[in-house]
Amino acid sequence: MISQKHLELVRMGLRSLVGYPMRTVLTMLGVVFGVGSVIAMLALGAGAERELLKEIGRLGIQNIIINSIKPEVQDTSNQRSNWISSYGITFKDHRQIVDTIPGIEKALPVHVSKKTVWQGSKRVEGTLYAVTPEHLDMFQLNTSVGRNLTHLDDEKLSRVCVVRSGMLKELGIYQDPIGFGLNIDKETFYIVGVLKDDSFLGYARKALSVDAKSSEIYVPYSSALRRHGTRSITRRSGSSEATDVELNQVVISVTDLDQVLVTARMLGSLLERNHPEKDYELVVPLEVLSQRQKTQQVFNIALVAIASISLLVGGIGIANIMLATVTERTKEIGVRRALGARRRHIIAQFLTETTTISTIGGGVGVLVGIGLVQVLTFFTGWSAAITLSSVALSLSISMAVGIVSGIYPARRAAGLDPISALRHE
Amino acid sequence: MKAPIISLQGVHKYYGDCEPRLHVLKGIDLDVAEGEYVSITGTSGSGKSTLLNLLGCLDNTSNGAYLLNGRDVSLYSDDELSKIRNEDIGFIFQSFNLIPQLTVFENVQVPLLYGARSIAATTDLCHEVIDSVGLSDRSEHRPTQLSGGECQRVAIARALINDPVLLLADEPTGNLDSTTGEEVLALIDDLHQQGRSVVMITHDPEVANRSQRRVDLRDGIIVEEGAA
Repeated sequence: MISQKHLELVRMGLRSLVGYPMRTVLTMLGVVFGVGSVIAMLALGAGAERELLKEIGRLGIQNIIINSIKPEVQDTSNQRSNWISSYGITFKDHRQIVDTIPGIEKALPVHVSKKTVWQGSKRVEGTLYAVTPEHLDMFQLNTSVGRNLTHLDDEKLSRVCVVRSGMLKELGIYQDPIGFGLNIDKETFYIVGVLKDDSFLGYARKALSVDAKSSEIYVPYSSALRRHGTRSITRRSGSSEATDVELNQVVISVTDLDQVLVTARMLGSLLERNHPEKDYELVVPLEVLSQRQKTQQVFNIALVAIASISLLVGGIGIANIMLATVTERTKEIGVRRALGARRRHIIAQFLTETTTISTIGGGVGVLVGIGLVQVLTFFTGWSAAITLSSVALSLSISMAVGIVSGIYPARRAAGLDPISALRHE
Repeated sequence: MKAPIISLQGVHKYYGDCEPRLHVLKGIDLDVAEGEYVSITGTSGSGKSTLLNLLGCLDNTSNGAYLLNGRDVSLYSDDELSKIRNEDIGFIFQSFNLIPQLTVFENVQVPLLYGARSIAATTDLCHEVIDSVGLSDRSEHRPTQLSGGECQRVAIARALINDPVLLLADEPTGNLDSTTGEEVLALIDDLHQQGRSVVMITHDPEVANRSQRRVDLRDGIIVEEGAA
């Protein structure tokens, strides 16, 4: 019974909103844009977070990656006497990791070297990745044409390779690439597969030390090491630089997700013991992910706070118009009071009107926000995700804005003296 | 004699908080019996509007008792007075005071919103009352689409919707031409015939003459009281 009466009050409240459509729309506008920008900001934030997950998640949150890095401080005298600079993770390290650290599912060695690749008369600078077959599976490096590297390739020291399609274009191979031979350091490696063209993004690229040119050539680990060894000579404008890095990368997969951080700590202390000079880095995607998520959250909060300012302005707009309306409708308030409306009835009437305005405004704002996101993503290519929770949040905030902005005008209206309100013209 | 529906006993009304206060009503004693039709006349400044506000429970007396239907309402709170206005008093105003954005039907419904009865149960009642003032074919119209006489009839229907013990009319013909004014007065006469108690404020002696009893107010006191 009470709810039915309340519905009637709402209906009559709506009537006065419909009675002045232009004013109602203008009053709503502030909330519309406020909610729209909140929705858009939350969507962009969620999109960035999703992108982050995709980017770092591709490294595998159960993985730990150890990269060899050239020590920053170079002893020049030492370098002159010994022209081969030797640093990084060694086979011994790898063996020790496998033998002593518990809870490791796999520890995949990777050797990386810059090579000049010839195909006929075409020449391309490429990066040779000597990897075990599991490596390709682990990072979802699937072939679109041909096959992947296999254990048999590794055992037989086959001279086969898997390349990126970008490399084919550079080499001028436009027909079926399978079976083409690439000359790398006097050895010929035959293409058996071409990778799908989804290269690593942002952080993942850096963590796996893959460059942006997608000139990776994956070859069986054993084949490359047996044929090329671990030394590599880079010629650069006359001078040449030789390096001897046994392993450029070890990708470790931990059996239990809960143990990732513990294992990372154990790996850290093992490497610290073996390498007085810090010529390696330990990348823990799980750790990076949580750090980045924290940063992203702070960023999201800041974005939403800025967007909320327009929501606040929208609320002030409603309060302002409602105050004007109270003056304009003084007579009506007096009539209602004379007909038996109590103060709380008047308060309820005005709150109903402001809440209706702001809630409808919020609903329209959600649509505007969705539209804004579509436009933004279309023109900028940013990633965005509109979540149900952001919609629910904005709708409830706009409802609250209506209530809060209605309180003062409603109290003003209810506080009017019925006699003078009735006499008001 | 029947118990009076209205009994004012030594009613004073002052305005303002500081001395000298405006002394508007200076000791009014007035009884209105059930079913009686009383007109209150007086020049402007005589205090008749103040008296109307007191009778309509829009204001409290400063001094003295106001018994409405046997209850002393002079000390009632704002909420209690609202309830009395809603249930026991039917207002008819000079300028009709209909709510412009609502239809005739909805205007008649307004007092029901603030009462205890459910809206659904009173739909028939609304139609009945609108029918009784002869506007059943206008119930979906807006006040701006009606003539002055029709507006006042809607206001009367609204005043009757809660079956009040007292109809309080404040210059009901003041905004109407003589023909439509006559129609409205005839309607009020009918309501009186049906046994309603009516108190009408007017400055027009001809209008006042239609009532059973005239009360003439001057400078806040009743100077003349007698059959019209």
